[in-house]
Amino acid sequence: MRRLFYLLREAWANMRTNRTTTIVAILTTAFTLACVGIFLLVYVNLRSAAGWLQEDIKIMVYLEDRITREGTQELEGKLKADRMVAGALFISKEQALGEFRAQFPSDSHLLEGLGENPLPASFVVTLAPNFRSPDAVKRWAERVRTMAGVAKVDYNQEWIDALAGLIRYIELVAIGVGGILSAAAVTIIGNTIRLALFARREEIEILRLIGATRAFIRIPYFLEGAVLGACGSALSLGILKFGFELFRQQIRSAGRFSGIENMLSFFPLSICLALVVVGMMLGFAGSFVSLRRFGEGRT
Amino acid sequence: MDAMIQLIHVSKFYDRRAAVSDVTFEIEKGEFVLLMGPSGAGKSTLLRMLIGAEQPDEGQIFVQGRNVTKLKQSEVPYLRRKVGSVFQDFRLLPKKSVFENVALPLIVQGSSTVDIRRKVTEALRAVGVEHKKDQSPNSLSAGEQQRVCIARAIVNGPIVLLADEPTGNLDPERTGEIIELFKLINARGTTVIVATHDPHVMTQVNRRVMTLMQGVMVPEQRVGV
Repeated sequence: MRRLFYLLREAWANMRTNRTTTIVAILTTAFTLACVGIFLLVYVNLRSAAGWLQEDIKIMVYLEDRITREGTQELEGKLKADRMVAGALFISKEQALGEFRAQFPSDSHLLEGLGENPLPASFVVTLAPNFRSPDAVKRWAERVRTMAGVAKVDYNQEWIDALAGLIRYIELVAIGVGGILSAAAVTIIGNTIRLALFARREEIEILRLIGATRAFIRIPYFLEGAVLGACGSALSLGILKFGFELFRQQIRSAGRFSGIENMLSFFPLSICLALVVVGMMLGFAGSFVSLRRFGEGRT
Repeated sequence: MDAMIQLIHVSKFYDRRAAVSDVTFEIEKGEFVLLMGPSGAGKSTLLRMLIGAEQPDEGQIFVQGRNVTKLKQSEVPYLRRKVGSVFQDFRLLPKKSVFENVALPLIVQGSSTVDIRRKVTEALRAVGVEHKKDQSPNSLSAGEQQRVCIARAIVNGPIVLLADEPTGNLDPERTGEIIELFKLINARGTTVIVATHDPHVMTQVNRRVMTLMQGVMVPEQRVGV
């Protein structure tokens, strides 16, 4: 107990003695990790958007103009019997025209010049949740395209694929930037620990001579590194949250993207805690590197 | 007789120059030995080898029957808990009180708070600085600091006490007091080895004297008993 108390007190004393260095290390680590956090936040939000779009995917099955009423009913029957289909809503040519007029009232005169209603009848198909993956949607669309009476199958998969590509790209950038900046955080904390080790080298030598084990000497520095990392990480989350709220407010006040701000989300609490733990581990790694370089543990 | 310390043909080289050359001797349990020799004779190197802080290039070293040269890195701290060390420059931590300095070896080995309080008080009393326990070492005189250093070395009841030039920074009067303290500790059964270049210490100790000259052990002389 006394030993634990001693170790904790030593770690605290280290940080207090090198107060300025400690604060600078925490701030630098915080800004470094905040840069990583920006990529993570963008990544998390794009992923959630992609997931949401994929969940909400609607497939338009446009029918040929010459399809008969029986043909339409037969097709509807086939679609509804398909185990991949959760729902199929028929939209007649007239309904399509009505919707167009309702959505684009100022452009409705464009269709009037054509005389006959040019909009095709269609089925709006929603696939069952288990079959909403890009591959499953693609396979289903290809199969339906060959059915009698089907003119065209359309869905926003290309857009979703592009988004998935962007997500993969951001993922790679996040990994690259995260790796580099994490190494920077390790170096920053490592240097702080090295300064502490240098300042206390005589004390370390005394501890060695009176029979302190390697672990006993190292623990306060590991604790210090872990605390620096955790504080840096927590502060970076604070900076990110502040920036995030500011960004959301900007979007809201701009008005043009109303609704988007509600789709944006910050890291959930579990991720925040995980990031603090990651910061702690980076600090730990910084201490480890410094202790190795300092040669602590030699006799 | 039981050999507490045994060196067998021990040599240590720095840049091919022998700091200690083919040294062989035995020190029995409870002995008080003076290790004499001028500066650079290899006394400190020899003491450092006894606590595993240096490894000999040749030969074997045994402390209480254990071969120090064969110890694993992780076993060295446990050897040092049995062998107390006193230094010329005291090596006290200025930011800790006298009590905390002396308590350090006990904290390191995980003693209980009650034990620490009892043993530190006893050690400080034994060296005569109990009344200074709350002070900073920097506020003490050189003689008092050396007493605190000795208290730290004996607080966990070591089997051997090594002192490297313990009176190097002290005036003759304080030197005498410190030597008397070592005699007292030795009288309680601890094997004591004092390394010094000061011939006055030899006359005060009146015990077995080993002399190192340029790393080589010269034939022993025993002064008194």
